[in-house]
Amino acid sequence: MEGNIEALTGALALIGYGLGAVGPGIGIGIVAGNAITAMARQPEMAGTIRTTMFLGIALTEALALIGFVLFFIASAG
Amino acid sequence: MAELILATGECDVANEVICAPANVTDLFEFPTIFTIGGLDISRTEILMLFAAVVTVSILYFGLRQQQLVPTKFGAAVEGLVGFVRDGVGRDVIGPESTKFLPYLLSLFMFLLVANLFEITPLINFPVTSRMAIPVALSLITYWIFMFLGFARNNFRYLIDTVWPKTVPIGLRWLVGLIELVSVFFLRPLTLAVRLFANMVAGHLMLTLLLASGVVFVAAIPDIGLKGTVGIFWFALGIFMFLLEILVAVLQAYIFTLLSAIYIESSIHFEH
Repeated sequence: MEGNIEALTGALALIGYGLGAVGPGIGIGIVAGNAITAMARQPEMAGTIRTTMFLGIALTEALALIGFVLFFIASAG
Repeated sequence: MAELILATGECDVANEVICAPANVTDLFEFPTIFTIGGLDISRTEILMLFAAVVTVSILYFGLRQQQLVPTKFGAAVEGLVGFVRDGVGRDVIGPESTKFLPYLLSLFMFLLVANLFEITPLINFPVTSRMAIPVALSLITYWIFMFLGFARNNFRYLIDTVWPKTVPIGLRWLVGLIELVSVFFLRPLTLAVRLFANMVAGHLMLTLLLASGVVFVAAIPDIGLKGTVGIFWFALGIFMFLLEILVAVLQAYIFTLLSAIYIESSIHFEH
């Protein structure tokens, strides 16, 4: 296993994706948590809040997914 | 089942914990079946055409007869159309949404069918996990909102994006730079990558878990108690299967919703 650059590249890509998933994970938690608070306070607005929540999750999630794609690019190249 | 066989190519059940293919692209690239004028037609292209045919036939047969009391299938299709018209078009774009409803509806229905191929038995392959379809669709959305932006606001669309008048002068160049990159480059990119990556991740997870489950359970006579790990993989795979139904529908909805929001931002550019 000594000097196995390919294995090292794969491992580094994996670590990179793990780090990239931290931020969006926190972000989605904040978005969903605040949406639940808002729905509990104003149940009559639940429909609008749900749409906005999905939108916020989608925008936050994009970063994690770009990391996911980059993981394959980095570990293949 | 083709995926299951591919994934289990050479799996050392005695030493591995989960069966993975030698190369990820094995799961997404199918051998060419025949060639028409330089175009290689494989299972993927046939499924893409099939998705389009299914989409058109659902809309055609669902809305063919306008009845006072629609059939169950007709009512379901009308529900979907109403959902896109009211939930996406009217709520986001406003009164002008009727012009964009044909595009939004075809987008939503096609993506719904294409995404749900992921969990359809015997197909088991989401065609949106090949980058061609998300890129093509997001470029169509990009052209629509770019065209609208320049047609409705002339070059103010570009100028006000990079030099926003409502922002304090000290920060204006920074906000303008971020807006320029975000509106003109990141919007189509993230729109395509979001759908693509979600579908790739879902397909990978389902294939690895379900295939590992089948292989390990089938190997119980050979490797004994260790093979029972397959039951766990298979149970997790079934759970992911149910989750993927949600993801497939949600991604079709989000792609349509974001397209509508981008179109709206070009129409009502002032605010």
